[in-house]
Amino acid sequence: MDLKPIYKNVIEGQADAVESGVKAALAAGVDAGVILNEALIAAMDEVGNRFEDGDFFVPEMLIAARAMQAGLALLKPHLTAIDVQAAGKIAIGTVKGDLHDIGKNLVAMMLEGAGFEIVDLGVDVTPEAFVKAVQEGANLIGMSALLTTTMSNMSATIEALKAAGLREQVKVMVGGAPVTEEFARSIGADAFAPDASSATRVARQLVA
Amino acid sequence: MSSPGVKIERLSSEQCTTLHNASLEILAQTGVRLHLDEAVEMLRKAGAQVSEGNRARIPASLVEWALSTAPKQIPLFDRLGQPAMLLGDRKNYYGSGSDCLYIVDHRTNQRRRALLQDVVEGARVGDALPNVDFVMSMFLPSDVDPQISDVLQMEVMLNNTSKPIVFVTNEFAGCVDAVAMAEAVAGGEDALSAKPFIACYINVTSGLVHNEEALQKVLFLAGKGIPALYLPLVTAGMTGPVTLPGSMAMLNAGALVGVVLSQLKREGAPVIVPGCGLTIIDMRTMVNPYCSPDGKGMTHAMSRHYGLPNFGLGGGAESKLVDGQAAAEAALTLMSETLNGGNLIHDLGYLESGLSGSLAQLAICDEIVGWLKHYIAPVAVNAETLMLDLIDEKGPEGSFITHEHTLKHFREHWYPTLFERGNYSQWEKAGCKSLSERTSEQVEKILAGDVKKPLPENVVQSLKNIAQKVVQ
Repeated sequence: MDLKPIYKNVIEGQADAVESGVKAALAAGVDAGVILNEALIAAMDEVGNRFEDGDFFVPEMLIAARAMQAGLALLKPHLTAIDVQAAGKIAIGTVKGDLHDIGKNLVAMMLEGAGFEIVDLGVDVTPEAFVKAVQEGANLIGMSALLTTTMSNMSATIEALKAAGLREQVKVMVGGAPVTEEFARSIGADAFAPDASSATRVARQLVA
Repeated sequence: MSSPGVKIERLSSEQCTTLHNASLEILAQTGVRLHLDEAVEMLRKAGAQVSEGNRARIPASLVEWALSTAPKQIPLFDRLGQPAMLLGDRKNYYGSGSDCLYIVDHRTNQRRRALLQDVVEGARVGDALPNVDFVMSMFLPSDVDPQISDVLQMEVMLNNTSKPIVFVTNEFAGCVDAVAMAEAVAGGEDALSAKPFIACYINVTSGLVHNEEALQKVLFLAGKGIPALYLPLVTAGMTGPVTLPGSMAMLNAGALVGVVLSQLKREGAPVIVPGCGLTIIDMRTMVNPYCSPDGKGMTHAMSRHYGLPNFGLGGGAESKLVDGQAAAEAALTLMSETLNGGNLIHDLGYLESGLSGSLAQLAICDEIVGWLKHYIAPVAVNAETLMLDLIDEKGPEGSFITHEHTLKHFREHWYPTLFERGNYSQWEKAGCKSLSERTSEQVEKILAGDVKKPLPENVVQSLKNIAQKVVQ
């Protein structure tokens, strides 16, 4: 069976068409791992290339990722552990005192497109809420801040993780307009991502 | 016989009415989230429906009442109590911006974190430039405790400029302290409210989400009679529809919340509505640009529809350097702001979409504004400007350069300070300098001089005392 239409529909962000294509392929007896690799993942690789080249803009990439996720949901029951590896579970939020969530939402969408499980804690997130998310299984934390006055709550969260004895089992990444590599290092974060598109790459490296 | 002048009306009156009605529908149907109990209670008492604890649906009648009581003209004075600006109509005034994280240092052309000394220099350069009408802090200093940086910025501005100040504070407490400082300068609360020389720029999370400190500030300032600039930010395609009228309706709804609250607190309280805040995120880079042409002028048209003064934005650039792109972006945005009737036009001297600033870029903006003031000046066509007798007296081959009439009027035309007009050999002899090099020299010259109008020593001391109390 020709998997090209699924590939093409992922790139074009046609979630419904991807779903019906995946259903048809499964019904025709195509191996789920083959559908995943040759249609869905191959398509997202192409989307990534087009974004790098400046042909695709962010909304096109996000909509393609959504179509890919729709297909993946149908494949999951048929996939073995070898076929698909959960990229990681990330708890993400804008730190306490800060209500700015544009950047945070974007990073969450990008990471979801890259196969991460997202726990979106929202805005004005206390250190305690991050700690709780780690207790509930997150292996990665993403903190965002737009205000220089709230940046200090990033280190408060890291301290709270240490106090709870959880720091060793979780990776911490930070971002937001005032945040720098130097600041991330100074508070003991594991990584800094300057923008949403690099956040995915950084997150992958952290959980690799 | 005067000419109609040069101006742009981006929206028709019918379009403004449609947008206004759209905002009223959003306020009544969708409602707004208000993160301050006091504000929710005030609106509830005034007839708003409240659900989910803090989601207020505001009736049109309340908005129309507030629009009828908000002042159409707002005067701002200088620090010495002299009239400086009368905000409203199409009157243009220009100033720097607030809180850039970085400075592109004119001495080195290097980008670095900003320091409190940069705020000092920004205020002094703004004070000296002839076309800068008001001063903002320009930079967020990285060498002081971020929790109290706002109070130190205010102290520095008051010490280094006598022009009107538009200030920004992080939290509500900083706003109270900044006002206390201005009162100390004016000689008390009544003296300041009689002749305000400060206005507070309030950042509101979005059109439909109003953060606690924004609401605290707008109520506090209304009580004090100090002009409040209430500025929600709506990002088309992210926090509002990608089609601009939808996002404009949301932004405007948020602005109207500010007008309603200020008027509920005190009828006639001075409130300034957005002339910016409708932004179009770059879908390739996710940067929020300062120079998008698409929505320019819509906010200004709405502010004129209401007859309320606006807070515009021009002279900022996306460029990372003081280069050709920066100058072009500054010129285009300053021109569109000017022609669309921006009142308080801020962010002169910004680079990197608001993340860095440059004193050289500020001086270049000052030069551009000088050009624009001459461009929008009405042309007078009359006997004194036609000079038919003189033309006849001189005849077809006449020369006018030595005539008394020429001597009397030639200086009325615009002459550049920074833009180069000499011939090639003159330019070469002066060292083949670029605009940014010439500008850096001008900035250095300004900084080498003294503060023009320093505060009396006892006032300097009381500002210090206020700052000291905050530090502790």
